[in-house]
Amino acid sequence: MKAKDLMIPLQDYLKTDNTLKEAVNLLRAAKRGEEKVGVKGLPVLDEKGKLTGMVSMGDILRAVYPSYMSMMNLGDFTWDGMVESLAKQVADKQVETVMTKNVITIMEDDPLMECVDHMIRNKVQRLPVLDKSGKVVGMLYERDVFFAIVKAMLEENTGGGK
Amino acid sequence: MTEGVAATSQVVMGTQFWIATALFILAYGLIVSEKIHKTIVAIFGAALMIVLRIVTQEDAFHSMDLGIDWNVIFLLISMMIIINIMKPTGVFEYIAIKSAKVAKGKPFMIMAIFSVVTAVVSAFLDNVTTVLLIAPVTLLICQALELDVVPFLITEALASNIGGTATLIGDPPNIMIASKAQLDFMAFVYHLTPVIIVVLIAYVISIKFIFGKKMKVREELRQRVMAMDEKEAIKDPVLLKKSLVVLAITIGGFIVHGMLHFEPATIALFGAGLLLLVSGTKEPHHILAEAEWATLFFFMGLFMIIGGVVKVGLIKWMSIKVLELTQGNLFGTSMIVMWFSAFASAFIDNIPYVATMNPLIIDMAKQLWPNLSGTQLLHHPDLMPMWWALSLGACLGGNGTAIGASANVIVVGMAEKMGKPISFKKFMLYGMPLMIESVIICTVYVWLRYYVLKI
Repeated sequence: MKAKDLMIPLQDYLKTDNTLKEAVNLLRAAKRGEEKVGVKGLPVLDEKGKLTGMVSMGDILRAVYPSYMSMMNLGDFTWDGMVESLAKQVADKQVETVMTKNVITIMEDDPLMECVDHMIRNKVQRLPVLDKSGKVVGMLYERDVFFAIVKAMLEENTGGGK
Repeated sequence: MTEGVAATSQVVMGTQFWIATALFILAYGLIVSEKIHKTIVAIFGAALMIVLRIVTQEDAFHSMDLGIDWNVIFLLISMMIIINIMKPTGVFEYIAIKSAKVAKGKPFMIMAIFSVVTAVVSAFLDNVTTVLLIAPVTLLICQALELDVVPFLITEALASNIGGTATLIGDPPNIMIASKAQLDFMAFVYHLTPVIIVVLIAYVISIKFIFGKKMKVREELRQRVMAMDEKEAIKDPVLLKKSLVVLAITIGGFIVHGMLHFEPATIALFGAGLLLLVSGTKEPHHILAEAEWATLFFFMGLFMIIGGVVKVGLIKWMSIKVLELTQGNLFGTSMIVMWFSAFASAFIDNIPYVATMNPLIIDMAKQLWPNLSGTQLLHHPDLMPMWWALSLGACLGGNGTAIGASANVIVVGMAEKMGKPISFKKFMLYGMPLMIESVIICTVYVWLRYYVLKI
């Protein structure tokens, strides 16, 4: 099985000048097939359609997490309403400022094990899938890889030989 | 000045002289330009000094006059180790939260108490470390009180540079001066701490006038600070107790090291070794790895580069020129040293500056008193004010601009991350007048104490 057999074809994506408000709205309502189920991460494309980054739920959490909190152990000294007020402060920031810029990608014809290798090695749960021209054609999610493994385990005949 | 003219002829300006001088100027130019990381410049420059046969490897690694000052390196490494072990105990968070509560969440009181705490902690720890330990809590408190962080960050950086000047271990220039001039911890306490206390008091009064009026905080926001329980900060009370005992032993050791005839680095190394032992850590790797190796190698490289220009006589030549300029007037020389150091340190790194000035002052002393040597020369009563002038000028001068001291660079970086950039001009607007104020106080002090009262 190859990356393109398991990927979800690209439907929803963000643009670099989208605000975080727009980003979270899309993350919440992104489609999977026909259903609006939301996703944990979306690719960010520039005006020419080139992949420039990824925004995940983790990036949104980091966007409201002040940099000084990571410098010392200050979790015990926070207050009720802190996250909410910081969320309002960063709502109009551009996606570009919070996205993960170093994106791990795969090619549509890459074998599944290569995808698994990337996911484990780089600790990511989703990979943008590129075609030969470098355009994003879909997203490969950890859960879909998981279900492919489940299928192989439970229905032995359809395993590796295919 | 016939002596001076005779001495000039002693410097042979041959090929070696010009190669070393060119290398020195090129290295310092690159360090100032920041085109290449200063540590890389220092390491490569040092290697070239040896490869071009200006100094031998023996000189660079083992000579007290021409090579790496291991006293400075081991003092720095040891203090870094002690702090790295203490950091996870939560003691620094505790001190900062406690300070905010003592200030009852009132903005100017927080600013004043944080400045004083920063100054006191800086007197014992490296300034950058101190700022990295206090500033994150400051940002949290400012967020809680919905206050502008910029004045707090600037005042803390300035306070750390002031406090660091007070002791031998407070700021790298003092560590370097102490090692070269063979001055002990108590000499710094006796000669510098009093004036720094005056400078700090004047500083707190000044920031009251500059920032005091603008800041107001709503009662409900103050409650956020008052609700914080500083005791929760302590994550490892056992290690904290051990650390505090070792720290007390170490500071006690510094106080008596002169009497016991130990170098400061010996005391620091003992403290670091003891704390590593009693901390019960099985994996010292990460504690040692977190030492700031880039800074340490910067020092090592610089010492070797300076060794080259000392050996070829450039520094001696410069010292002769300085004496010619001041006509041997020592009060005038010390004043020039202080003010020149202050403005030089405001724009360039005070570490390479002091590394150059130390041998220059020693060479100057050799011109003045050719028959003396050892501590008789280094501690000549007429030379002592020069060391203090160098320390006060070089340390306090760092307050002049955003790039004058590493602590300033750190807070500017933090402010930018918080989305509140501090421009070079804005920092200078506060830093420069406060720096000049502090150097004026020191000028009066040095003049009064060493040239009028002579005590």
